[in-house]
Amino acid sequence: MAPQTPAVVMDNGTGYTKLGFAGNDSPSFVFPTAIATKGPAAGAGGSGSGRPAVGQKPSFLTGGAGPGGHLSAKRGTEDLDFFIGDEALGAAAGPGYGLHYPIRHGQIENWDQMERFWSNSIFKYLRVEPEDHYFLLTEPPLNPPENRENTAEIMFESFNCAGLYIAVQAVLALAASWTSSKVQDRSLTGTVIDSGEGVTHVIPVAEGYVIGSSIKSIPIAGRDITYFVQSLLRDRGEPDSSLKTAERIKEEFCYVCPDIVKEFARFDREADDRFKHYEVQQPGGRSVTVDVGYERFLAPEIFFNPEIYSSDFLTPLPTIVDTVIQTSPIDVRRGLYKNIVLSGGSTLYKDFGRRLQRDIRHLVDARIKASEARAGNQAKSGGLDVQVITHRRQRHGPWFGGSLLGQTPEFRSYCHTKAEYDEIGPSIVRRFALLGGPGST
Amino acid sequence: MLLLDYGNLLIESLLKDRFAPGATPTSIDQISGEFDNTSFHISTPESKSKILISLAIKCYPELVKYGAEEVLQREYGSLIVQPESGYDFSVGVDLEQLPESEEEKTDLIRRISLMKRNALAAPFEQAFDEFASLQEQARQYTSESAPQGVREGGEVRAIHYREEEAIYIKASHDRVTVIFSTIFREETDRVYGKVFLQEFVDARKRGVQNAPQVLARDDPPLELQGIPGIKAGKGEVTYVTFVLFPRHLTPQRRAEVISHIETFRDYFHYHIKASKAYIHSRMRRRTADFLQVLRRARPEAEEKERKTASGRTFTVKG
Ligand SMILES: Nc1ncnc2c1ncn2[C@@H]1O[C@H](COP(=O)(O)OP(=O)(O)OP(=O)(O)O)[C@@H](O)[C@H]1O
Ligand SMILES: [Mg+2]
Repeated sequence: MAPQTPAVVMDNGTGYTKLGFAGNDSPSFVFPTAIATKGPAAGAGGSGSGRPAVGQKPSFLTGGAGPGGHLSAKRGTEDLDFFIGDEALGAAAGPGYGLHYPIRHGQIENWDQMERFWSNSIFKYLRVEPEDHYFLLTEPPLNPPENRENTAEIMFESFNCAGLYIAVQAVLALAASWTSSKVQDRSLTGTVIDSGEGVTHVIPVAEGYVIGSSIKSIPIAGRDITYFVQSLLRDRGEPDSSLKTAERIKEEFCYVCPDIVKEFARFDREADDRFKHYEVQQPGGRSVTVDVGYERFLAPEIFFNPEIYSSDFLTPLPTIVDTVIQTSPIDVRRGLYKNIVLSGGSTLYKDFGRRLQRDIRHLVDARIKASEARAGNQAKSGGLDVQVITHRRQRHGPWFGGSLLGQTPEFRSYCHTKAEYDEIGPSIVRRFALLGGPGST
Repeated sequence: MLLLDYGNLLIESLLKDRFAPGATPTSIDQISGEFDNTSFHISTPESKSKILISLAIKCYPELVKYGAEEVLQREYGSLIVQPESGYDFSVGVDLEQLPESEEEKTDLIRRISLMKRNALAAPFEQAFDEFASLQEQARQYTSESAPQGVREGGEVRAIHYREEEAIYIKASHDRVTVIFSTIFREETDRVYGKVFLQEFVDARKRGVQNAPQVLARDDPPLELQGIPGIKAGKGEVTYVTFVLFPRHLTPQRRAEVISHIETFRDYFHYHIKASKAYIHSRMRRRTADFLQVLRRARPEAEEKERKTASGRTFTVKG
């Protein structure tokens, strides 16, 4: 094995998979974590119930026709007849294929599908021999250890990958923020707000260790915001209100405002400037124009005022962040307030960080005031520094953090190797030494 | 996916992106690995509209010996630039001087994405040419009277493209023999590999008449005797021999045959891994089925005898 092969970094999210090599500043491939297999789709909303069609024989007994062979047509190769990513969406649009999302709420639910998803990721997209590379994979916070073991089993037994490190997305997201000029010390202490497609997590991390008992997740993330935009488009009877259009509008036009009442007024005042149009190229060559209005600021507002979207989840994000930090050990709270790091696609709205910082500050200041009042205004507290870090690598934060750590010279020594796995078994991946923690560069 | 693609998907998708009309030039800096100790660097060192694509390939010096420079010159001509440091071969694409038509653009993208394939194609092309000339010479003799060189064929071209694995190519007057030496890291893989190879070997019996003859064995085949670095006798290494007959070597088929055979080793290992994935999914399904059986087998709550207050038993009348 050549010593120089770059580590492969894979961040499989609920919505999108980011694939690439350590050392790069962006993933080589970003595509939906979707797989299209022969047969009907999993029932909508079902939790990974779709079993892939499994043929009678593995394809090594059938695909081996070699150059110019036609055997494949005669014998089943169903287990290789699938697509992933954008190709999966394409295949599922036609007849014969069903679309599945093997990851739900950040966790792998269907291992058959995931194994094939990885196989294609490695051989078709990255085009590497896994035996030659070390792999850095990510996992959501509070991932059950069994899931880690399943992952290791696949990586080591199916793919014989040379070495494996599984990192918590939040920790990687902290590392990713080191590129920001606002971050002075490369510390792994901070509060990560990771909001992607499926869930939003608020995760306190102290010196690289996730404070599991204080994590909170919020059932509002990218998909919900897309649905919300879609419902507004529908209500207005726009000529195109497909999910795809809603998503594009969300990503292109939405922003966070300081105050909704004022923002409504502003729209009325500066109508020309605030209202936008979005051209949709419909199949068949027709193009229609969709008006874009109040959803521009209303959609991301559901983070701050969830009641406009949901009736069963009502706590605003800033309050959650404050609670998470308040329930963490007292000696790390200062560090957690000082370094609130954003990560994931759904934190990209303009001014998202600014509003969050303001709202959290208000909460903190109010509490300090109250406690000072209780103490009879005897002692003045020095106040608390609340800082929300918005940075350039936020979008693929976990992937980028993985790329940073995966290129360090000591990365390999933090991995478990194939030989160690063979000796000890899957339980070996229950523990990993802390990568990028104190002591390493 | 049954066959591996020949080109590099990252290069293809990056260039497609940048070549699209109206695309804004942005800076790129990506390293990328590929099969067989190959790596690429795609970057825009000078300006955003000038893309530099560099290739490093472990066995490049060997490939050069077998004519890689000529092949690459033919394929990339004026695109070739001074190799980037640390790499063996570089081409530059100027987004401001792209060809006009869509077709030419697509062709250019495809050609660049095939850079590794083309570099590795050189020894094959050389061997195929040698075959053609040997065939020509052999026509002049009966088999007995042919001079030594013609009867025995040319020298063996060895390409050590992976740490412990190599490709050997030998041309004769009636065939080209391509031998892959490959190593399995795991016993399981070796077993899968055996079955898989048997399918190759048997392909001709099953009516795939056009298939090249395939032999697989654990000791070096005759062709490799006396080649440096080859250990005689049975060992860890599996040798897979493909015999390409004149019908595979026609000018029309040659490009396709080379692309195909170059990917053999990776294709082979890909399928071994895919098969393991397949077996895993069968095992998971089995386990799930067993669990279900177990659940069903749980004894149902037994019907208790019900009695009236006076002690008489209920009987259900049909
Ligand atoms: N510029 C943008 N503005 C707002 N939302 C965006 C933007 N770009 C992407 N998104 C949204 O971000 C989401 C995808 O984010 P990301 O890739 O971080 O999620 P994921 O990792 O797949 O999911 P998860 O982390 O929940 O498992 C999608 O809902 C997408 O619409
Ligand atoms: Mg994510």
